[in-house]
Amino acid sequence: MSNTTRILTVDDSPSMRALLNHALSGHGFDVAQAEDGLAALDWLAMNEVDVVITDINMPRLDGFGLIERLREGSRHRDRPILVLTTESSDEKKARARAAGATGWIVKPFDPEKLVAAVRRVAH
Amino acid sequence: MSFETPIPGAPPLERITVMQGQALASRSPSVEYSTVLGSCVATCLFDPEARVGGMNHFLLSEPPANAPGTQVDEHYGVYLMELLVNQMLGQGARKGNLRAHLYGGANVNRNMMRIGSMNAEFAREFLRREGIALMREDLGGTQARRVDFRPASGQVRLRTVEDRFAPPVQPTPRPAVARGDVELF
Repeated sequence: MSNTTRILTVDDSPSMRALLNHALSGHGFDVAQAEDGLAALDWLAMNEVDVVITDINMPRLDGFGLIERLREGSRHRDRPILVLTTESSDEKKARARAAGATGWIVKPFDPEKLVAAVRRVAH
Repeated sequence: MSFETPIPGAPPLERITVMQGQALASRSPSVEYSTVLGSCVATCLFDPEARVGGMNHFLLSEPPANAPGTQVDEHYGVYLMELLVNQMLGQGARKGNLRAHLYGGANVNRNMMRIGSMNAEFAREFLRREGIALMREDLGGTQARRVDFRPASGQVRLRTVEDRFAPPVQPTPRPAVARGDVELF
């Protein structure tokens, strides 16, 4: 059993996925990636993860829907979920918080701040 | 019908200047986005089904020293592109329908190296990675351009203009309001 922190990033943009993969893998995290909320649920049904980082605006199932679905069951009730988004409205931030998000990070992300946040929530 | 021909009975045109660092989208037939580009690049996106269009305008700086392998600040570039795409989706567009035009990226200032070319290359590469079709581009060279874009119809008018009409700009630092701030609940 490895002690490496496992992260699932969920974002529909290949460019953003590449930036996240580069930033997180470069800091020693084990990174898996999904392109929207439904792909993330499929992946999580078969795999274990320590932290989820999700965008909000995505096709099929958005970030709010993903957080709500993960919090419905017992398996991911306490899983740290960080929202990483271009959204800046307080209303959307409040909605993410109410859905059960652990934190809110504004794009464009700073790799050092993102890594610090992941380490903090991953325990 | 030519771009200049007014439509009888149409509401007056609202001209909106898209400034450096901005991304705007609309489905209103009475809106026209306008911008003047030197080294800056503007992306025009259009969804022909939803009849929604949008424009951004950026000039990316060189990346921080700890980001080897890239020529411009990709983090900020991806952010400005995502901002435009999200504005489009918010107006009813679908990502799979998006068609793009790219304009600008001239190397007008000898002191700024080839920053225009580097920005143009970033924009092309972004569209390629995202699978967004690039329908038209007018990039590079040494002359400033003026772009007028009607978001509801996708019509574009492009003219070269004297360099003095292109506002002198510096490559964009990351905005103070969005620099990766973290809030844990």
